[in-house]
Amino acid sequence: MEPAEDWLVESLRLYQDFHAFDLSGATRVLEWIGDKGILVAGYESLKKNEILHLILPLRLSVKENQGLFPERDFKVQHGGFSDRSVCDLKHVPDTRLLVTSGPPGSYLQVWQLAEDSDVIRAVSTIDVHEREEPLWPRVAIFPSVAPGVLHGTRLSSLKVVDLHSQKTMYTSGVSDDDVLSSLQVLDMDTFAFCCSSGRLGLVDTRQKWAPSENLSPGPGSTGRQWCAEAGGRGPGPSIARLGSDGQLCLLDPRDLCQPVSSVQCPVSMPSPEPELLRVTWAPGLDNCLAISGFDGTVQVYDVTSWAGLGRQVEPLFTHRGHIFLDDSGMDPAPLVTTHTWHPYKPRTVLSAASDASLHVWDWVDPCASR
Amino acid sequence: MPEIRVTPLGAGQDVGRSCILVSIAGKNVMLDCGMHMGFSDDRRFPDFSYITRSGRLTDFLDCVIISHFHLDHCGALPYFSEMVGYDGPIYMTQPTQAICPILLEDYRKIAVDKKGEANFFTSQMIKDCMKKVVAVHLHQTVQVDDELEIKAYYAGHVLGAAMFQIKVGSESVVYTVSGNLGHRKGCLVEEREEAPPHHHILCQGDYNMTPDRHLGAAWIDKCRPSLLITESTYATTIRDSKRCRERDFLKKVHETVERGGKVLIPVFALGRAQELCILLETFWERMDLKAPIYFSTGLTEKANHYYKLFIPWTNQKIRKTFVQRNMFEFKHIKAFDRAFADSPGPMVVFATPGMLHAGQSLQIFRKWAGNEKNMVIMPGYCVQGTVGHKILSGQRKLEMEGRQVVSPHLSLPALWIPLGWVEALGTTTCADGPHTAMLQLEVKMQVEYMSFSAHADAKGIMQLVGQAEPENVLLVHGEAKKMEFLKQKIEQEFRVNCYMPANGETVTLPTSPSIPVGISLGLLKREMAQGLLPDAKKPRLLHGTLIMKDSNFRLVSSEQALKELGLAEHQLRFTCRVHLHDTRKEQEMAMRVYNHLKSVLKDHCVQHLPDGSVTVESILVQAAAHSEDPGTKVLLVSWTYQDEELGSYLTSLLKKGLPQAS
Repeated sequence: MEPAEDWLVESLRLYQDFHAFDLSGATRVLEWIGDKGILVAGYESLKKNEILHLILPLRLSVKENQGLFPERDFKVQHGGFSDRSVCDLKHVPDTRLLVTSGPPGSYLQVWQLAEDSDVIRAVSTIDVHEREEPLWPRVAIFPSVAPGVLHGTRLSSLKVVDLHSQKTMYTSGVSDDDVLSSLQVLDMDTFAFCCSSGRLGLVDTRQKWAPSENLSPGPGSTGRQWCAEAGGRGPGPSIARLGSDGQLCLLDPRDLCQPVSSVQCPVSMPSPEPELLRVTWAPGLDNCLAISGFDGTVQVYDVTSWAGLGRQVEPLFTHRGHIFLDDSGMDPAPLVTTHTWHPYKPRTVLSAASDASLHVWDWVDPCASR
Repeated sequence: MPEIRVTPLGAGQDVGRSCILVSIAGKNVMLDCGMHMGFSDDRRFPDFSYITRSGRLTDFLDCVIISHFHLDHCGALPYFSEMVGYDGPIYMTQPTQAICPILLEDYRKIAVDKKGEANFFTSQMIKDCMKKVVAVHLHQTVQVDDELEIKAYYAGHVLGAAMFQIKVGSESVVYTVSGNLGHRKGCLVEEREEAPPHHHILCQGDYNMTPDRHLGAAWIDKCRPSLLITESTYATTIRDSKRCRERDFLKKVHETVERGGKVLIPVFALGRAQELCILLETFWERMDLKAPIYFSTGLTEKANHYYKLFIPWTNQKIRKTFVQRNMFEFKHIKAFDRAFADSPGPMVVFATPGMLHAGQSLQIFRKWAGNEKNMVIMPGYCVQGTVGHKILSGQRKLEMEGRQVVSPHLSLPALWIPLGWVEALGTTTCADGPHTAMLQLEVKMQVEYMSFSAHADAKGIMQLVGQAEPENVLLVHGEAKKMEFLKQKIEQEFRVNCYMPANGETVTLPTSPSIPVGISLGLLKREMAQGLLPDAKKPRLLHGTLIMKDSNFRLVSSEQALKELGLAEHQLRFTCRVHLHDTRKEQEMAMRVYNHLKSVLKDHCVQHLPDGSVTVESILVQAAAHSEDPGTKVLLVSWTYQDEELGSYLTSLLKKGLPQAS
């Protein structure tokens, strides 16, 4: 039996559900649109890239799994073509609009999902002014009646622009040129940022730039790159920061000065492409997060009992499907480009890899079955 | 201008009635003749009055082609040929020819005997219809008449499924249905020698770009048809991988067996059943499972019979297995005996028929339905009115006949009343048979539907278009508005036109047929003598005389043409007067013209003749005084039509005046 078949037999025990799709191109974007659809987009340079709005098969979007859902395929609801590579894509909530970013980062592209057809049309652009290849601006959306687009390549260029009038609503106004790695809107007025250097902070847009910050990711951080996500559920710290060497820090937003814990995840090597580093909190599970961007796996951790600094931790679950089901013969094995949690199926994760595969998996909690 | 016209008559989708009318260079071909399984009135068959309102179908249609045995592609065939009336040839592959009548008869039984539908074809009509069928082999060019030829290509999908190429002269169409194209990366279908460019249509029913456990992947050569017709049903989907479908099947079977339940898998004798058996056998071996697996009697012989017949249609692995051993000599899978159904403990049974409308699968279902530990897995589509369709629609209480029904067309085996049945309120009496007790069966067992049907998705369709390199693509059975993106994608990637007609709407495609012209060796040698080798990327001007004789076109040199046709050459000269303001004498003027032309036309032979005139090739220039104005000289320029280009150039040159003498 070939390794793929071996692994599939093994997968009967590991997953409740497992689906593998083959996209027309690899994606770094898995953006939810409503709770039944996702957006994916190609990131190849010098090529037309597809942006697709896919509808999940019913069995993956029903809240309670009752009845027969023979359909297992994604349906392409809308599609469009981008002349640039798409590295970041955000859906503007309650609208049919999307904002994309990617190199060359001289502007953000605004798109619209057509109502009367299946086409995604480019509708406008948002100027970024500074152009610093290979850097490109990170994007996040302030949802409201007049949605604001938060974007920036460096801390100094951070601003919020009104999507419709294109007026600048907020600028950081600092001369700090730390390069941004992630941006996340937390509520109507606040957002979180993380720099490649590991510096992270929470910003209130109603005030002048005075973020509550964590400046130092600890000793020996030179050369490492970082990303972060806020939003952990449960009583513990709710900000996670992931380094390209597998170091994972948990921070309490009320006191960012010192990380609550800092652990070493068992990654085989530092991330070969730190831009693909992802750390995400599970929306439906307490103290649970997933990381990817090191190799062909996605690791899931339960952070409940983490404390102190420097500990080695073991993942609760590791998804290896992208390695075993890879038919491309790529050497090395494909790299996971991004992953996202299902909004309400607690253990369901979607992950994409550089071989254009897209997996949807509902892992079985090994602790629950003990 | 020659054209190709295409009109889809069907309704598409899973239960649709595929039927497409194609007119190509004056020939009319009907592609598929499917039925709509969701209707039991007139709408179940295509509206054939579209084809011709007045005349006989046989006079109008040159042939009918059936892509594969699924009823949505062949279900209306006996109605069309025997009831509407068509006596022309019907082409299909040998497996389709063998399986199609079995399915038609099965369906007829359900529709007429069970549901009591009227205006339906009879068993005899199916037989009569099949007599009109001409079987075709893969890659065999079949000459329908002097001009119309067809050729079948492997489509995967189901046993015997084919894509068809239809060719009339230099025009052709390819028709494909959803099949398996070698879709996974690294598994692209083999490349064979390229066919010369032709105008033809590639017609495609269902096909599959991924090889599966018993069939190979669809394949077509670079036949560059004028048009490729394909279904759009799955064109906007991204398919879950086959492996995951299989995994899900194994998981369900395994879980049921582990908890001590029984699994019933109703199957049609062919195709997927073998595939699922191979899958389960491998899994049982690996997991060292002990629960017995059975397949119903009759299935073995039938399946083996057909598989032996059509072994070239299966994939290489199966072919190899067949050489080594009987396909159904499994280690873990044994023949089923009716008594086994009552045995305690877990088991898995494959039983026919696939839609639970009669026979062994229905008997076993009745026995096992009352136990929630058991499971039935329906691996395919079920026709309305069958038990399979009812349970798939979520029905949990079924009214069923409790005793044998005797009917001239349908003879169900004796049925018995198993435990777990509830006696219905009363009994009914059939006018033509014995008493039939109506019983209510409560379905407590788990019902699962797993589709293993192999269809090409968006990526597969793109691959097929890339392989065949058509000039135009036509997608049938879809909503144009929902496929605008796909159209853009096809048009951008392959730089072809993509059409999406609605049912009943005709698309007319102008075609530009290639006309082969033979060039004489002499003419080619003359071209070669100029030292320029032909370059496919750079068009070049070539002068010659085109002779059209006996439907042949030849390009020869003018001398040869004159000689062949016995004609004398006529001289044709153009003349022009150029007025130049110059007071010098005519001889001096001619000398200046000579010097000027000699310096400008370095590659040509410029001569100054003793009579004072100047020649360049056939061009003659003479200088004369103006009769009224002594300050003006007239240059008389004349040339033959062969040197028209040079003559015009020289005239325009002289009109600009002569350079001042240094």
